[in-house]
Amino acid sequence: MSESFLAVDNLNTFYGKSHILHDVSLTVGKGELVALLGLNGAGKTTTMRSILGLTRPRAGTVKFSGRDISGWPSYRVSRLGVGYVPEGRRMFKELTVLENLQIAETGRKGAWTIDRVFQRLPKLQELRARKSGRLSGGEQEMLAIARALVANPTMMLVDEPSQGLAPLIVEEVYKILEEMKAAGTSILLVEQNALLALKVADRAYVMDEGRIVYSGVASELERDRAMIRTLMGLQEAAS
Amino acid sequence: MLSNVVPSVFNGLVLGAFYAFVAIGLSLIMNLTGTINLAHGSFLTLAGYLAFTLVSKGTSFWFALLLAPLLTVVVGVVVERLLIVPLYKRDPIFSLLLTFGLSLIAEEVYRLIWGPNGVPFSAPGVLGGGISLGFMQFPTLRLFIAGVLAAAMVALALFLWRTRFGLRLRAAIQDTEMISAMGTNTQLLYMVNFALGMALAGLAGVLASGLLGLSPTMGNALLMPAFVVAIIGGMGSLFGSIVGGLLVGLAISVTTLFVPAANEIIMYILMAVVLLIRPRGLFGTEGLFG
Repeated sequence: MSESFLAVDNLNTFYGKSHILHDVSLTVGKGELVALLGLNGAGKTTTMRSILGLTRPRAGTVKFSGRDISGWPSYRVSRLGVGYVPEGRRMFKELTVLENLQIAETGRKGAWTIDRVFQRLPKLQELRARKSGRLSGGEQEMLAIARALVANPTMMLVDEPSQGLAPLIVEEVYKILEEMKAAGTSILLVEQNALLALKVADRAYVMDEGRIVYSGVASELERDRAMIRTLMGLQEAAS
Repeated sequence: MLSNVVPSVFNGLVLGAFYAFVAIGLSLIMNLTGTINLAHGSFLTLAGYLAFTLVSKGTSFWFALLLAPLLTVVVGVVVERLLIVPLYKRDPIFSLLLTFGLSLIAEEVYRLIWGPNGVPFSAPGVLGGGISLGFMQFPTLRLFIAGVLAAAMVALALFLWRTRFGLRLRAAIQDTEMISAMGTNTQLLYMVNFALGMALAGLAGVLASGLLGLSPTMGNALLMPAFVVAIIGGMGSLFGSIVGGLLVGLAISVTTLFVPAANEIIMYILMAVVLLIRPRGLFGTEGLFG
């Protein structure tokens, strides 16, 4: 395994008095795609928020590229090159597609520019003058990813990118994730659809009730029928 | 008859521009941080008094018109950083109470420093006369005020819609957390936004002094109409505030001419009618500054 690029160690996060994350530890290596799986409410999103500095953990450390970034405000974490594709897309709905992308431009040099994003996703170019709130769910997901891309992140946190999307669009989204991985971007992927995520992931963690309950190579977890059934079955029952 | 109505309409528009200006300042701060700044009028008054003091110490009116709003921005930002920032993440009632308290304190402080009654503060002689519009004479001062207010509104619109910082502000109004996760220091954004609101209040304060009379309550008297204007125009809509302000100003001045007794209540009637027909206001959308 490659050196760890993102290293989360014994994270404990609270919302008010409720203890959400219990000693969560995980690592993501350089250029690695790691899936973070689990049922609704397992603490996956809270883990991401804690890494990003959107929710401040009470204990534990987050190291990124060798630096201790625990307790940093999210804008500083972002400026280090951590991109975020949030659950539910979170468009700036009143802004146009182009404006959504312009906001994300940070001046950090890299392969991605708005022009390059438009080349890769011509649909977004067609829609560039439209308010992002008027886009379809699939278009919004593309824009959410594109918005993270134009900042040229070295690490991406992607939360539930397939949620509520048609299979064809999910395929497109995952194709982009694989391209990013191929280009050397590290990715931490939260996903309800375990089988989908395991197809592209190198390694995986499974969370339950705020704890990491499993960690291993993705292809091994994929063969663990009982675990998959729990993850997938209950997901279907819940949705 | 016409010779009365036309000047009234012009005066109403100038008055309305003030209301719009104050309403925009209030909206800017409320949209981003949820703070209903009841001290907004106090900062406006402060700018008027600062300009008065500057001029009485020998500064030119023009310099005071620039410097007093800047000083108001400084005072405002200090107040925001020290007192209002800790309340941003709490229920809006806290900042409402705080700014209400501040406005009461400010009014007393102004009485102590500058006296309980108004002080005479008028614009320089150049602005004293009238300009012939062909069919009527119109006071130069009012034209000047209307011009400055209009120019400031255009400048604000350019800032919000044509600069990167303005873009971030508009985005932050919709999702502060996301804009932070995308690399923007939101505290800096809050501060600049508050400073913008203060600059608007400051400019309005200096200009209003010559027109409405500079007294400890000058700004607070503008606050209520400004809220009504913001509601009529649609909370959060910059353009709505401008239209709402002009409508209210017009309604007040025309009512004063024909039914003087009703000139205080007319804006509330207007608000009730607008809200009956369009509950979110004329240009209100669920997104802000749409």
